[in-house]
Amino acid sequence: MAGASRFAAAVAIVVVIAGLTLLPQFSGEYGVQIGFRLLIYIVLGEAWNLLAGYCGLVSLGTSSFIGIGAYVLVGVLNAADVPISITLVGSGLVAAIVAFVVSPALFRLRGLYFTVGTLALGEALRLFMINASFSGGAGGWFLNAPSPSTNALFYYAIGLLAAATIVISACTQTRFSILLRSVRDDEDAATQMGVRAFHVKLAAFIIASFLMGAAGGLQAYKLGAIEPYGMFGMQWTIDVLSLVIIGGLGLRLGPVVGAIIVIALGEYLADYPELHIAITGVILIVIVRFAPKGILGLGLQLARWLTAPRPASGALRSGAPR
Amino acid sequence: MNKKINNGLPRRLAKAALFGAVASFALVAGWTSSANAADEIVIGASLPLSGPLAGFGSFQQWGYKRAIDAVNKAGGIAIDGKKWPVRLIIRDDKTDPNASASNIETLISRDNVTALLGSCTPSLVNAGALVAERHKKPMVTGCDPLEAFKSVRKWTYVWDLFFDEPDLAGADFKMIAEYGIETNKKVAILHDNGPDGQIVGGQIWPAMAKAGGMEVVENASFPIDNTQFTSIIAEAKSKNAEIVLVDSITPQAVSIRKQMASAGFSPKILVIEKGAEPVQFAEALGKLSDGILVGGYWDPSFPYPGAAQLAADFEKETGQTSSQHIADSNSAAEILLDAIAAAGSTDPEKINAAIAKTDKTYVAGLIKFDENHTSKLPMAIDQWQSGKAIVVWPKDRATGKLLFPMPN
Amino acid sequence: MPSLDVVASSLASGFFLGGIYALTALGLSLVLGVMRLVNLAHGEFLILGAYAGLFLLKWTGVDPLAGLLLVGLAVGLLAYPIHRFLLTPLRGKGPEAPMMTMFGVSIIMQNLFILLFSADTRSIERDYATASLSVGPVTIAWIYVIGFAVSVIAIGLVHLLVSRTAFGRDLRASAVDPFAAAIVGVDVQRVHAATFALGAACAGIGGTLIGIAFSFTPSSGATYLLTNFAVVVLGGMGNIMGTLLGGVTLGIMQSLGGIVLGDGYRDLVGMVLFLIVLAIRPTGLLAGKS
Repeated sequence: MAGASRFAAAVAIVVVIAGLTLLPQFSGEYGVQIGFRLLIYIVLGEAWNLLAGYCGLVSLGTSSFIGIGAYVLVGVLNAADVPISITLVGSGLVAAIVAFVVSPALFRLRGLYFTVGTLALGEALRLFMINASFSGGAGGWFLNAPSPSTNALFYYAIGLLAAATIVISACTQTRFSILLRSVRDDEDAATQMGVRAFHVKLAAFIIASFLMGAAGGLQAYKLGAIEPYGMFGMQWTIDVLSLVIIGGLGLRLGPVVGAIIVIALGEYLADYPELHIAITGVILIVIVRFAPKGILGLGLQLARWLTAPRPASGALRSGAPR
Repeated sequence: MNKKINNGLPRRLAKAALFGAVASFALVAGWTSSANAADEIVIGASLPLSGPLAGFGSFQQWGYKRAIDAVNKAGGIAIDGKKWPVRLIIRDDKTDPNASASNIETLISRDNVTALLGSCTPSLVNAGALVAERHKKPMVTGCDPLEAFKSVRKWTYVWDLFFDEPDLAGADFKMIAEYGIETNKKVAILHDNGPDGQIVGGQIWPAMAKAGGMEVVENASFPIDNTQFTSIIAEAKSKNAEIVLVDSITPQAVSIRKQMASAGFSPKILVIEKGAEPVQFAEALGKLSDGILVGGYWDPSFPYPGAAQLAADFEKETGQTSSQHIADSNSAAEILLDAIAAAGSTDPEKINAAIAKTDKTYVAGLIKFDENHTSKLPMAIDQWQSGKAIVVWPKDRATGKLLFPMPN
Repeated sequence: MPSLDVVASSLASGFFLGGIYALTALGLSLVLGVMRLVNLAHGEFLILGAYAGLFLLKWTGVDPLAGLLLVGLAVGLLAYPIHRFLLTPLRGKGPEAPMMTMFGVSIIMQNLFILLFSADTRSIERDYATASLSVGPVTIAWIYVIGFAVSVIAIGLVHLLVSRTAFGRDLRASAVDPFAAAIVGVDVQRVHAATFALGAACAGIGGTLIGIAFSFTPSSGATYLLTNFAVVVLGGMGNIMGTLLGGVTLGIMQSLGGIVLGDGYRDLVGMVLFLIVLAIRPTGLLAGKS
């Protein structure tokens, strides 16, 4: 990407995020609540996209880090009078440390084995928390601190999104992205070229886990009551996975598009309790089937198709692989 | 090759465009359907209609709807001399506390509800109740055992009518003492480690057993969704426990009973709290359900106004067998509607004040909230006999005789 | 410390129960090994089998054990079009797309179970489901022994099918290298569809056994899916006889966990064991592929 357009993109991001802070002035309470959920999902989606889309680490362990972040936040706030922003960093840090600790074992696994291993990690943590007495077992913990206002939550979420955007842009717009892709496309070849695959994967895993932990902490701050089924549950893992696939795996803005669609669908269909899960399933299957690069990928393809010179139709297909 | 692709692509795009159009229509519809008619009272509820607790949700949904339909049939609720119809909005929380919380948010901010009704089980009810509390909207709920409810916080806007765990746990021991039942006084306790399971099985039962001069030979806990109980059952059998007290949800209750039988273990008294209550428990087990005891806070035979009618209507309308959950849900909705009528206003503070003054016998029993915002439903003990739940304790409410010891 | 007969009974139960685990996990393993597909709807196929067994008994009075083949056939036939119409078009699009599609299928099936059969807890009621078998100090459930026998027979048959028949040869070729297999004339998609249906049929049969031995609800599938992943990893993905070994190992380890730490820790012990084996020996306890 040329320097000028990179600058323009940075300006655009700053403008969008600054614009978001004005949302509570215009939209009602409902808009702000939806906005909060959207921001949390975007952060989670971006983190997962960094792992799966850029580094080829298809993880089903998202819920582990969200759950850890949630328990850290409630534990810390109940024990001491710490500012929330520092606590959120703490949530992220503990999640990142756990990621670091489990990485030697997990990174022995490649491809499918990694996917299944992360799934087991999430499940093992959930089962542990259900049985552990220090965390109240299945009863969980309640936050003693007074509950925050919707607007305050929204501003924290904006802060989290800004942090995520900076970190992930730093990963995807610099030479680090080349390392990530080289590991994704062929780990062995990359190693032979002198790329330290383990370190590259570890960096991506730690960054993603930090963001997931912080997002989990913020969600716990909103809920005020946490327990293992809700915070370590598979539904987080699946939601994040689906939003990235729906939006567009490996595309920078894919998670944003995906989060909007997933939140809107969930929000709308919850009013039709009888069939909403089945409808969600059908929509998921249709999108995966007809938009293999997600809705964003489909949009980009459409734009290219419309702008491409008609006779040279072959050019359409010869875009960059993946 | 190129030709084929070029033929396929526009078709694919057309399909995608069609889908996109449908999706965006849905989106817009979702965002704009929020406006309420000004002259109706909107009541919201988030219920587990899918996921592991979907069984509870369907009973509650019926109980809530029935109360609201009854009010609307009578013309609605009078506010400022004019009758307002009541609209009930129900959203599915998929048995996920995160969804329960966000559903209540949406009901408050998008649908602008006047008041709320609760979900089921402590984790789902509490998640939604905390949102209601934060937004100062009154909520009446059942299906959240009172100790678990009280342990969350000091409530201002949320009210709970259900059984109290000490009552539930104590009823069995009271019955054993009152009927002079003779056993070797060895008790095995098997409980899940959910919020109420921890209180009932972890704290109250052991204390009560000790107070009653019994010996607790085993006290085992397990996760709510456990499937295997062979070790704890073998342990209870080898310790020769004649009284077995279980606290678990229905799928686990069925598995435990089957695994007890297949381990050749047959205690004289088997109590399975929570899980043995619905008729599906007895249907799934057949003969094996005979003699199992379960605490109940409601039965159609109880001397409350409309109790028999409620169960009969449920069975007629749905073709399913009734459950006690139709009673507390129906009463929760009636309490709320009565409070709105008494307040004569949709102002949350006035409604909340009116709920606090509730003192009336509803279909679930006498409801009067204490300073913790709870109202206890008194316990009885049911026993499954040939696929029917027979009330065996207390004596003045019994509809049949206690079967003792449990048939082998 | 529990007495000797408790320990012996628990271990024996774990051993035989492990056989049932193996059959329920076989389909997942086949599909993972041959198609590289994380079948998130596997648990729902299992539950579908349990409902099929239940209604077979209710409507026709045929004992579910006698009707196991019928149940397997029905679930397999239902699964075949799912592959044909939903998964075949996604070939060559990476592992995420089919995984998401199967997740979509799983939630649709859960929703349909609730609509058609209600959210009630069900169990297949049979006398042999609760009969106990005592040998010396050891007491175990007859149904575990029956289930173990059914599993060993089914797994043996699938093993023969894969190792001795032309279909098996194609299947093995497709698993090792789908491109090379296609070049030598194997219809890889047809083999995949048949594998998928076979896997679902095994899940269906295993589900009926689960329905007889335990209880199930529309949402029970997820619990069994995770246990099954552990079995698959212990035995090696796509390794048929390994699945049996993996199931029995998991059954015994869970029982040990249950004895030492309490039954609450059974599943946790399973998951931790699963992680350890993954980290030390990602290809499973049994080396090599079947």
